[in-house]
Amino acid sequence: MFEAFSLPFFQKGLIEILILAIPAGLIGSWVVLRSLAFFSHAIGTASFPGLVLADGIGFSPALGAFGAAGFFAGLTALLGRSRRASNDSVTALVLVGCLAFGVILASDVFGSTASVDTLLFGSLLSIGTSDILLAAAAAVLAVATTVLLGHRWLARGFDETAASRVGAGAAWLDAVLLLTVAVTVTASLNAVGALLVTVLIVVPAATVRLFAQRITTQLVASVLLVAVLGSFGLWLSYQTDAPPGATIAVVSGITFGLALGVRSLGRRGGRIAAATALVLGAGVIAGCGGSGSNGDQLKVVATTTQVGDFVEQIGGDRVEVTTILQPNTDPHDYEPRPSDVKAVADADLVFRSGGHLDEWANDIVADSGSGAEVVDLSSGLPVQLEGEEEHEHAHEEEAAHSSESEAGHSHEGEAKPAEEEGHEHGDEVDPHWWHDPVNVIAATKEIDTALSEASPDNASYFSERTASFDKEARELDRQIAACVKQVPASERKIVTDHDAFGYFTNRYEIESVGTVIPALTTQAEPSAGDLADLEQTIKEENVKAIFPESSVSPALAEAVAEDTGASTSYTLYADTLGPEGSNGETWMSMMKANTDSLMLGMTGGQTDCFGTVG
Amino acid sequence: MIEWITDPLAFGATTRALIEIAILGTVGGAVGCWVVLYRVSYSAESLAHGLFPGLVGAALLGLPLLLGGAAGIVLAAALIALVSRFATDTDTAIAVVITSLFGLGVLMALSPASPPGISELLFGDLLGTSQQDILVSAAVTIPVLAALWILHSRLLAIGFDENSGSAIGISPGLMTGLVLGLVAVTILVGVQALGNLLVAAILVGPAAAARLLTDRFRSMMILSVSFALLAGVAGIYLSFHARIAAGAAVVGCLVTIYLLAAVTSALRERSPMRTRTSS
Repeated sequence: MFEAFSLPFFQKGLIEILILAIPAGLIGSWVVLRSLAFFSHAIGTASFPGLVLADGIGFSPALGAFGAAGFFAGLTALLGRSRRASNDSVTALVLVGCLAFGVILASDVFGSTASVDTLLFGSLLSIGTSDILLAAAAAVLAVATTVLLGHRWLARGFDETAASRVGAGAAWLDAVLLLTVAVTVTASLNAVGALLVTVLIVVPAATVRLFAQRITTQLVASVLLVAVLGSFGLWLSYQTDAPPGATIAVVSGITFGLALGVRSLGRRGGRIAAATALVLGAGVIAGCGGSGSNGDQLKVVATTTQVGDFVEQIGGDRVEVTTILQPNTDPHDYEPRPSDVKAVADADLVFRSGGHLDEWANDIVADSGSGAEVVDLSSGLPVQLEGEEEHEHAHEEEAAHSSESEAGHSHEGEAKPAEEEGHEHGDEVDPHWWHDPVNVIAATKEIDTALSEASPDNASYFSERTASFDKEARELDRQIAACVKQVPASERKIVTDHDAFGYFTNRYEIESVGTVIPALTTQAEPSAGDLADLEQTIKEENVKAIFPESSVSPALAEAVAEDTGASTSYTLYADTLGPEGSNGETWMSMMKANTDSLMLGMTGGQTDCFGTVG
Repeated sequence: MIEWITDPLAFGATTRALIEIAILGTVGGAVGCWVVLYRVSYSAESLAHGLFPGLVGAALLGLPLLLGGAAGIVLAAALIALVSRFATDTDTAIAVVITSLFGLGVLMALSPASPPGISELLFGDLLGTSQQDILVSAAVTIPVLAALWILHSRLLAIGFDENSGSAIGISPGLMTGLVLGLVAVTILVGVQALGNLLVAAILVGPAAAARLLTDRFRSMMILSVSFALLAGVAGIYLSFHARIAAGAAVVGCLVTIYLLAAVTSALRERSPMRTRTSS
């Protein structure tokens, strides 16, 4: 039951939450006493433009978040000085203003990548040393300001006119408070993410406020409660395999509810509450069973569903594959679960798809304390297309895998700090390489090499399976090429949701006329002008079909289709494979399903190749 | 010049977005006045997150998503009204309720049965508005506006002075609950088409700007609705001609209007003699 405490990633999370308890409890008390709950929620969300800027220009995300938070605090304080404006509407407006600015930056200036979304979703499971330092700095600041200015904040909170008489009326006092809140929120972003920051800051302090009569009690008890709820939530999340931030939120909410019951119902309520807590606690502990695994197989972690499928095809029953991303989830929305981090910590080998799709993988490997070798499959591919731009510059060197042995598996997970890794993707390679069978054949060779090195006894088993996969893939490639040729070249035109099919269209000579979403983060959105241009192009080029992707909301694609008469009935698998039992379960079947969908779309439902759709 | 105005109308997506923003501007501008008066801006910004467990629950049970969203948001509004009777202030109550509910939603969404991309229901696309979306918005807007009309004097009595309301037998708690309910319905409609960001902006922005310029409630309401319509239309034209993300452009216009109002009001405050003596 307590094995969690021996795991390095768990220990780091625990240290982080215990340090964070100090600023969260102290500042949380002031937030509750001074009714700043909305402000502290808003400041976390408003850090979005700062994160986009940090991602686009290339500086530390924590700095970006803090800069945005400081700007937000200043603007709110400035606008809130008017007597007519109520504080909460000012906060709301500045908040949406910041968010909108972030969306514009992400959609129209930088064409941001997925790491922006990841930053808004922090996790206690991937805490690095810099996060802990940031939390410690926030703790020092919170203690210092509380000791020095606490009595003045208190006086000001209760009665502004009386406060000004004893000399506590200066506006700078409020400014310091807002700024300290901003620092605390920024430090908590890494732990629980933007939307749940108030879990640590507001909820425990509000629970204590129901009982505490004196300010010292309030401050000390809040710190203790954050520490208790945080560590219990983290432990519970490990036992139930759920994201820690959400678990802490639910545990804190229940605690607040129980406290409310105790206070309003008196002694009888207290007994009911205690009984409920006992039952809940017992149920939770009973619900956690341990899971054993056998030690003989090679333990391998794959980041994306396609890579998981390749490793399974090559490794067969000699390896135990854990795939981190689930079918049909948008990899842009990923948040790690304890079992994922544990699998990485125990793994012998980690296979990455590469590029921005699974950028978080290196962080997890580094922070989990795993000694696993990380193999980036995208590094030695024969066909590499440039991301974002047109697809003209294909560097095709078929059958040339010469660089594979050096480039294939470097220990990049441990060596490079995560920050540097995240910002090199300005004009990077398009990461959707598996839509070209030539690349897949090269990638499976690399998997074969890596597996054989890790487990030399099984080398012949792996290479046999690689050879047969290779043969099947070449056959599939030939079939798709022959089938697509049935459509005249002038009619091979498609529009997709985002730029994921460059490799497919390049391989089979299909023209991708445009895409609906401008950037690669799901927070980006197109402008009316861009969409109008797209509609014009679709009409002029006589494009028959727009292809929504299985893991992205189809609203925009459907709106364009409604105006142009193009069809949206055929969905493509872009970033992930389909769930078990669907026609996109494995890479082979996914390629067939995509080909069928594309053929049916381009021919108006007339021709398909494999009969996998409909 | 005329082409500048007519060009966007040639495209279906832009036209539908204009109609939708006009409907939402009307209802948002009107409900927003009560949001500002009752100081429930935080609820307006947060209730959309309260939708989340409802959406996931409906998806898991196989019910229509809209129904689940409605249940989730009504539950959130009721819990906020309940908890704020005990907690020190409404803001704290909202923070407690919304974060707990959102956490619950995230945990429920882990179930393999939850459909892909459900969190995107929180991020709408203004340009993705379909004809059906417009019909639903219009159908829901009419009862909301009717409710505002019928309840007007009672809402006003409590909004300006809680005590006077209690004296004539209206419960302030009930009225706050009603305002939250209307906000919830507006968000439910808006969030699908426009997303979290825009709904909160259109509920708070125009009304807060109008509040800065006038003390009389009737003029505040007229100003608020006009600001909302102006910002909506200007935002979409800006998005078309300057190629800025559509939702963000509308929000940008709303914030600009607010800033202009703030400057105007600050200038007036600085020269109080003229305004005071003339009234």
